[in-house]
Amino acid sequence: MKFKKIEFENKDAQRVYDNYMKNLSNVLKPILEEDRQDVLMEYNSHIYEHLQSNKSRPELNELLNAIEKLGAPEEVLKPLIADKSLEKATKSFNPLHIFKALLLNISNGISYVIFFFLYLSLGTFVFLIFAKLFNSDHVGVFYKDNRFQALGWVKETSNYSEILGYWFIPVMILITITIYLLITLLLKFKKSISKKSLS
Amino acid sequence: MKDEFIGKWKSQVKKGTLSFLVLNAISKRELYGYELIEMIKKSTAIEIAEGTLYPLMNRLKTEGLTTSKWVEQASGIPRKYYVLTKEGLETLKQMLNYWNELQESINKLTNDEI
Repeated sequence: MKFKKIEFENKDAQRVYDNYMKNLSNVLKPILEEDRQDVLMEYNSHIYEHLQSNKSRPELNELLNAIEKLGAPEEVLKPLIADKSLEKATKSFNPLHIFKALLLNISNGISYVIFFFLYLSLGTFVFLIFAKLFNSDHVGVFYKDNRFQALGWVKETSNYSEILGYWFIPVMILITITIYLLITLLLKFKKSISKKSLS
Repeated sequence: MKDEFIGKWKSQVKKGTLSFLVLNAISKRELYGYELIEMIKKSTAIEIAEGTLYPLMNRLKTEGLTTSKWVEQASGIPRKYYVLTKEGLETLKQMLNYWNELQESINKLTNDEI
């Protein structure tokens, strides 16, 4: 099924319509292309059916009526964009998309706030990787008398021995990626989990 | 009369019952978006920003209560028809039960007072 533009006889009506659809398409940018196409087609159909039911009246007038009654897309479509952007983000595993989607969803429940902080805390691992480069003696995995003492940045290291050396960096990278994948999968399945626990 | 209070209460009731209305409407027959909105407006005098219906339809779909299908039209501008699923029908039945219970309790309460 393809999107087909509505053709108007009135030139001004055509301009208003073209602008409206362009704006709508922009509002829908955060969601997947196929979802975007679907919403565009739905709005297009809505406007077309409105015009058909009011055929006896002036085109431009009725177009403006239809648009006005639909409400501002950026307001009205907020919940849909929040839902769909999360779907997109967890599909692509793109951290930027995930942050954006979480921000859009934060008003939808405390669990999104928790996820937001989980992702933020991943930043500490990334920080440690760089810290190791600049301050290799104080950053790492520290043991004392063969017992684990600390992972991270340690000020006083005279009694400790660091066991990983520069292997610390690939290990941290691996841990970061693993945790990232785990949280994202959890986010992806969050909906079905909360649904099951309800029923 | 407290017009503002009543106004707010009415809009809360409308918001809370919109999905119930939608499920009822499409339980009779498959409807496309514009038709669905017109039907709800005609039968209930509810003034909604018509666009709010589409996120709601999306929610109902992800909940598994409805499905939808695009149907090609002679005009070349297809319509999206919404259909109630089996699960949707079951859910609607439970909602109807609850609605009737609620109505009964309200009736009891108001009759007692008179």
